[in-house]
Amino acid sequence: MTRKLVGQVTPEEKNEIQALFERRNGLNELAKVLTADNAELYEKLVADMGETGTKFQNWWDRMAQKYNWESSPNGNWEINFDTCEIFLNAE
Amino acid sequence: MAKNITFIVTKDCQLACKYCYLVGKNEKEQMSWETAKAAIDYILSHEDEFREESVIWDFIGGEPFMEIDLIDKICDYLKTEMFRRNHHWFNSYRFSFSTNGINYHTPKVQEFIKKNISHLSIGITIDGTERKHDLNRIYKQSNPDGSEHGSYRDVVRNIPLWLEQFPGGATKVTISSPDIPYIKESVLHLYSLGIHEVNINCVFEDVWQEGDDKLFEDQLMQLADAIIDGGYYTDYACSFYSENIGKPLDPELENQNWCGAGKMLAVDAAGMFYPCTRFAGYSLREKKPLIIGNVRDGIDKNKLRPFLTLDRMTQSPDKCKTCEVASGCAWCQGENYDAAATSTVYQRATAICLMHKARVRANNYYWNKLYRKLELEGQREQYEKNKREVKPVDC
Amino acid sequence: MLQYLVILLDDTSTSYCHYGVNKKERRLISLDHLRQGIRFGMVENLMIQFVYPDYALPQEYLDVIDTIDHSNIKPMAVLDNDTDIVVLNSWDYDASKLKDAVVVLRTGWKQLNENHGMLKDLLAVVQRLNVVITDVERMTDSDREQYKTVLASLGKEVEQLYVDGKSPQFNLLTDRMMLTAMNNCNAGDTTITLAPNGKFYTCPAFYYEEESNSVGDLDSGLDIKNKQLYRLDHAPICRKCDAWQCRRCTWLNRKTTLEVNTPSHEQCVAAHLERNASRDLMLSLRSKGTFLPDKEEIKELTYLDPFEIATQWK
Repeated sequence: MTRKLVGQVTPEEKNEIQALFERRNGLNELAKVLTADNAELYEKLVADMGETGTKFQNWWDRMAQKYNWESSPNGNWEINFDTCEIFLNAE
Repeated sequence: MAKNITFIVTKDCQLACKYCYLVGKNEKEQMSWETAKAAIDYILSHEDEFREESVIWDFIGGEPFMEIDLIDKICDYLKTEMFRRNHHWFNSYRFSFSTNGINYHTPKVQEFIKKNISHLSIGITIDGTERKHDLNRIYKQSNPDGSEHGSYRDVVRNIPLWLEQFPGGATKVTISSPDIPYIKESVLHLYSLGIHEVNINCVFEDVWQEGDDKLFEDQLMQLADAIIDGGYYTDYACSFYSENIGKPLDPELENQNWCGAGKMLAVDAAGMFYPCTRFAGYSLREKKPLIIGNVRDGIDKNKLRPFLTLDRMTQSPDKCKTCEVASGCAWCQGENYDAAATSTVYQRATAICLMHKARVRANNYYWNKLYRKLELEGQREQYEKNKREVKPVDC
Repeated sequence: MLQYLVILLDDTSTSYCHYGVNKKERRLISLDHLRQGIRFGMVENLMIQFVYPDYALPQEYLDVIDTIDHSNIKPMAVLDNDTDIVVLNSWDYDASKLKDAVVVLRTGWKQLNENHGMLKDLLAVVQRLNVVITDVERMTDSDREQYKTVLASLGKEVEQLYVDGKSPQFNLLTDRMMLTAMNNCNAGDTTITLAPNGKFYTCPAFYYEEESNSVGDLDSGLDIKNKQLYRLDHAPICRKCDAWQCRRCTWLNRKTTLEVNTPSHEQCVAAHLERNASRDLMLSLRSKGTFLPDKEEIKELTYLDPFEIATQWK
């Protein structure tokens, strides 16, 4: 596995994906304690997970298009929240 | 900016550390679920009064993991309620623990960690070598022969598991008068355990003996030599050494309060709110608890006004106002209150004065020696680009 | 620096400020303590103010009091020619007896709201009127909205008195126009109190709250711990404030915020409503002709509680 710096986003763009990242983690951990018994909240959670996942993917699609980062067939991009740097992890 | 909200879940602990400021620890005051729930309901239903972007839900004792069942229930409720209420903190929260590490490996604690891993900050307190650690951090109950029962071995066995789960884990070391001779060996020992960040502070209480400052300075200079000569400075950090300390402070532009009391919130088993845990009764030697409200009636904002308007100059004696090495000299508002001649948070305690000055001298030595070495090796520019910042941790 | 010494002659001496007198039994200060107190005032070069109960003092006390230049604060019940400040503890008074007097009217907010119309006649005869709202710390948001209306109404009455050629002195409305800097109670800084028990207190309120609040006694002298906290320069909210007429009551401060140097939200808002009413009065009087030409205009503010902008000052 290699890790290569391929770009950088603005602090505002970083904040956007960090908030989505935090929310996704929060939803995942909430899913461990919520059961279908609590129907209303469970449905709200499922809907939110779908919505947040979509927003998350949209951010990467949007940024990839904007910055035209180097990519790899089996690789994935990763962001460093402290530096706003984008890395490509590839085999 | 994060709001720090502390649940004092228990006033009990397995240990009876000699330097512990919690003079009123006991086995009776455990928080009930009803009190915890009432505190959460109050806080989350007053979102307009808690506008900070993020929240740190902090759990303290005594030893917080002695109440792991309650903590687990609280955290599940917090997650559920923040989500149900569409509270802005659901996007940015952490659960934070400062533990003695003794129960860290137990199934219940491990289950809790796995369930909440992406939102956890856990610090294990280990004071250094076995000799240094067991000097202070002893069990409440002695050995059968009456000798003190140190806790080092029960803590150190959990360090590998902790570092595996929290690779950047930092530890907090507290220095009191008897600990001074062991500072160097302790920090190096913690590095050898794989702990890369060691945050150390001297206790704020008036415990210092004549000559302690000289011994302290000597230890810090020996430690500086070891860190620099051993090359630890690239990957390890020790909060004693900071380029920002030991300079005069501008009376107007650098007039901020040091401590965050009042911007934080603590709640105890009785459902009382405090500006920080240090103002709860079990933390105070001389003064009455400084209560700013309760889970039933809410927070009395008038009682927060002194904390939110505190500044450095107003609470400092003249010697601090004109001190030429003032930067980095810390204070604890709770200790200030406890040690003050009247019932006020506006009288800065200065028991730490000589120790700070000793630290400044050793700190100057550290940076002069390090930068000279880096210059000679042509590494200074590279070092400055990559150096890790250690945030001051003082309570 | 100390300038004034208040001597409470009896446990039932009248209050002339926010605090209430919770001691019901008469206890005169001993003659010995009285003499020592006067001596303390003389050697420290302090102006002495005696505070009287509602009964006549024995002649021997009056003789001792008369050994020093002083001023007398007396309740209405014992008003006489030797009174410098008369205290009214109710609205049941005869204004005709108060001609040219300096009057303190202590009232609850509810009573002020109901009876403020009576103040027109009082202002017309007295030399000076200080209204003290004894429950200012309990005023609610709606009370404060109503207080604004009451002050506006009183402003009209004061304005008319000026138009009629009089110069009423009224703490709530005219002090701020006349002042050029903070002019507060200054208990513990410029003023100290000697209680009937022979001990010193920063003000009478601290004595009535708890006798153990003392800050020294006649034998060992004054010992005010953290004395700097009673000074304006050690009051982070007040030192940048321009509600100069505010009492800045250290006792109310400690009662509400637990710190003698920090006022409550309620005290700040009440003082700013008075300040703003003074501003309106000043502007209105100036629109009618030259008025206090050497005084600066009172600026318009965007807040009623200076705490709201306290962080901007840091």
